[in-house]
Amino acid sequence: MPPRFGCLDLNNWAKSLPTIEGYGTEPLTLKGAQIVEAHMEIEDDPADALLPKTMHPAVPAYAIFNVTSYPESPFGPFAIAEIRIAGRAGVRPRGHVLRSYINNEAAAKELAARWGYPVAPGEVSIALRHDRVIGRASVGGKIVLEIEEVDRDSISGGDIQYIASMHLCRNKGDGKPVLVQVDPEYVFARAERGRPRVVTLDAAAFRADNHLRVTWPIAATYAVADVTLPRLRYVCNPELPALQGTTKIAA
Amino acid sequence: MKFGLFYEISVPRPWTNETEKTVYDRCIEQVKLADELGFSNVWAVEHHFLEEYSHCPAPELFLTACAMVTKNIRVGHGIIVCVPEFNHPIKIAERTAVLDILSGGRLEVGTGRSATWTELGGFRVNPDETKKTWDEIVHCLPKMWTQERYSYQGRSWSMPARTILPKPYQKPHPPMWVAVTSPGTEIDAAERGMGSLGLTFGGFKEQEEKVKNYRRIIRNCEPVGEVVNEKVATVNFLFCHEDDAEGVKIGRRLTGSFNYLAAQLVAAREAFPSKSYPSLGLLPSLRQEAAGPGDESGAPEGVAIGNPARITRALKHWESVGVDQVNFLLNALETVPQEQVLKSLRLFAREVMPQFKTSGDQAAAAGGR
Repeated sequence: MPPRFGCLDLNNWAKSLPTIEGYGTEPLTLKGAQIVEAHMEIEDDPADALLPKTMHPAVPAYAIFNVTSYPESPFGPFAIAEIRIAGRAGVRPRGHVLRSYINNEAAAKELAARWGYPVAPGEVSIALRHDRVIGRASVGGKIVLEIEEVDRDSISGGDIQYIASMHLCRNKGDGKPVLVQVDPEYVFARAERGRPRVVTLDAAAFRADNHLRVTWPIAATYAVADVTLPRLRYVCNPELPALQGTTKIAA
Repeated sequence: MKFGLFYEISVPRPWTNETEKTVYDRCIEQVKLADELGFSNVWAVEHHFLEEYSHCPAPELFLTACAMVTKNIRVGHGIIVCVPEFNHPIKIAERTAVLDILSGGRLEVGTGRSATWTELGGFRVNPDETKKTWDEIVHCLPKMWTQERYSYQGRSWSMPARTILPKPYQKPHPPMWVAVTSPGTEIDAAERGMGSLGLTFGGFKEQEEKVKNYRRIIRNCEPVGEVVNEKVATVNFLFCHEDDAEGVKIGRRLTGSFNYLAAQLVAAREAFPSKSYPSLGLLPSLRQEAAGPGDESGAPEGVAIGNPARITRALKHWESVGVDQVNFLLNALETVPQEQVLKSLRLFAREVMPQFKTSGDQAAAAGGR
């Protein structure tokens, strides 16, 4: 029996893919980002349907709920909320991004065109309280994701390891679906860890339907960091395992 | 230098009753042969929930089975997870004592704390606490083995006075080791007078530095037990073949399978940021080093795959940097057929072991030729 692979229905997802303009984008550094992230274990068998065949499910399956606010950018301030399903592309830990809600149309356009973010318009915010950090995304006034980091404790930024994202998008050149690896760099100014809470989750709003069921909490983090969205280095064929279908496009 | 076997017990899907049993039977057959050939140790991990990578949650049972079919080979926990949620300290003391008795005093006790969220999360353990509880338990164990009555009031566990029985066969108690994965853990081992049971590869230079540090610090140690176990062991892969290219090719398949499986696990640090886990631990280190570019043959530096001459060179190098014992992983996912594993062991014992004084003598005496 072969190892477990994701079994995402590419035909179904292909209807709503963003288009990436090409793979030659320049890096973009965004200063002073606030990042709140919750890691939660999820039911593993259903979640296999949320990973492309390129990836193996993580053992145990877990999801990364991330809300990031960028106070300044060439497109003005913006915030983004997304859910990633953790897995492995070959031997590398990666998170497949289901959908990225973003509150700035110009930023959304750039992120989709240059890094293949699966963007959708939404209201996204981060709120700091003394006892918790709250990340929230709403669509048309309805909350689709609300996460919290509670019992905040300072840690070193060096203790945090964000895993790279995989964006399923359509290559403008040949019109085919492609998985783009986006591996931002972080320079931390502040970091903390606490307990994670998923207060509201509308799985369907993230194209997860009934495949995403949160089970156990792992950890939550909050950080302030300069984030560099990088040059693209690898793209994968979403219909093949990573070891067979990965192309290196830059050093 | 001594040579041992190191078992993760990797079982490929599908997991039928027969596949699990076949893999265990094969491991025991390998251990039996290794004993006859003069290998000094068999070590078994304690891992839980690590699909395909390691189906060895009860090493004390596997090691007991090994002890029952062997005469000389020492049986070692590599390691026992010294975290109360995994193993109550009283049970550790009792189980190890019984195994020491059943094996006729051949037990080595490796200790550690687990490095994956897969396992820590499964037992609902706070990763911030594991180093502290490990430290507490390794200080308790020797007293539990040697004092007639024992009581303890501690941080992670306590007990009123009781007689913990039986006591180990070896006196004062079995040798104790620490799993060394994260950088600096060799210092923990040295400061406590415990053996350094290396579970990562690292390059020669890195290892040499670690060994030097270890030897320097252990001179002034405060031993947790009644004896100091000044030994440095490291882990390696083994596939020995008369034809070098074939040996490297099959060996690469073995290392590749192992490392691929290892990478599927969720390291503690990946899911749960904690200064208690400053590195990704055992698995990524094995992956990086053993998948390295190596020389023109494709064999990564220091990995014991290829023909006897190549393997001897690699092991001489490990010996020169101060390693006392090299423990070999023989298979992963049953990538190497059992007959080839046994043949590789025999060839290693015949051609390589005699190049190393201690083990060579044993090999000759055990009819390894």
